[in-house]
Amino acid sequence: MKLLKFELLKLRKKSRGWLGPILVFVLIMTAFPLTVEILNKDIDQSFFSVLWIATLLVMMLATEDIFLEDFNDGTLEQMAIKHNSLSGVITIKIFVYWLLIGLPISLLGALYGFGITTSADLAIQLIPILMITTYIFLNVFSFGNALSLTKGSILGILITMPLVLPLLVVLGKVVIAINLGMNFLGFLFLLLGILSIIIFVLPIIISFVIKAHLE
Amino acid sequence: MIKKFIHQFASPKTYLFQVDRAYPYIFYTSLSIYLVALFWGLFLTSEDFVQGNSYRIIYLHVPASFISQSLYLAMAFASAIFLIWKVKLSAYLVRSIAPIGAITTFIALVSGAIWGIPTWGTWWAWDARIISTLILFIMYLGLISLHDSFTDNEKADKFLAILVIVGSVNIPIIKMSVEWWSTLHQTASITVTEKPAIDPSMLYPLFGSIIGFTGIVFCLVILSSKLQILKREKNKSWVKDYV
Repeated sequence: MKLLKFELLKLRKKSRGWLGPILVFVLIMTAFPLTVEILNKDIDQSFFSVLWIATLLVMMLATEDIFLEDFNDGTLEQMAIKHNSLSGVITIKIFVYWLLIGLPISLLGALYGFGITTSADLAIQLIPILMITTYIFLNVFSFGNALSLTKGSILGILITMPLVLPLLVVLGKVVIAINLGMNFLGFLFLLLGILSIIIFVLPIIISFVIKAHLE
Repeated sequence: MIKKFIHQFASPKTYLFQVDRAYPYIFYTSLSIYLVALFWGLFLTSEDFVQGNSYRIIYLHVPASFISQSLYLAMAFASAIFLIWKVKLSAYLVRSIAPIGAITTFIALVSGAIWGIPTWGTWWAWDARIISTLILFIMYLGLISLHDSFTDNEKADKFLAILVIVGSVNIPIIKMSVEWWSTLHQTASITVTEKPAIDPSMLYPLFGSIIGFTGIVFCLVILSSKLQILKREKNKSWVKDYV
């Protein structure tokens, strides 16, 4: 709990770290209707594609220096020694990132969904999907950035982007389900299932990677 | 006895000498199998009722696609061995398989594109199988660039192995992409459990080409792993004797 507060404070003080990605998300979502004809009826269709890709990009940006600063000033090394499980520390770190970046983006995404399709149902359905999706993305990209810790985030993105692409396919299916008015709960549970695996497995793998970096 | 054999074989030195001895046999056997299969497939079988002669690229496309996925599985297997038992040789193998995997995936993509023009009327479609194969190609490139970005080889081996294992979640998705989504690409004609959906006169040369192609790629992996071993162990005295 102490650690959670500490991490939360650390990220909150670094406004570029959490406000930056949110603002980039807002900019992308605001700019995209400019590229489409104003009377275009198909804007609903492209909205979702832009939403998923924007979420993906922003999560990449957000995790860019999730471990780098702590690694450079030695905090990470101390944490690895002090706490029995480094994976627990990493879980908390990612959770804090989700709290400050993923959660606002989920709400904003739903708001944009309401603004563009003017359907309150859809906006409410979007919130849980986005919440789960952002959490998965944050986990996966943290893994990439842990691998390429001292080598820049481009490499991290390059190697983890293929891992989340199957998820985009699932998200595409969710959109079809919502548009057809079908029950999307099945997909929600599928996403939840993916999340519940990732949430336990990836922090362990990340801690393994970071320990190798610290050697 | 088996244990002793594995222990000996796991040493890069023994591996190198054993592989050197076996290499010409594997190479010439698989080359002749592939050439016979190609000759059979290209000249002795009849034209396809629908696709005409264009289907004959199957003798390159199917083996290449098959191998591109199998190589990734081989890498995942070797990575697991490296992470669990710390066998150095398997780390070398993972690194040396990656470029070969990229090449075979590229061949699969290009031959698929060429096949697509006469049969689908387009050389590229944003179709699940094609995209997932393209992702596999990018994954191979990402693995190579991850390994090459570290100067510390031991660290690089470890990270590469971890990434390969995590990335292997994509393999079943590529494999099942034609079954789970409605796609332009046809489903598999040959499966282990069912009767092949392809005429025997085309099936036998296809099997031959898969076996031959696998053998040739296996030889490429051997060459590539030899290079990797010599590069990594260049300070050992036996390498100097060998070269």
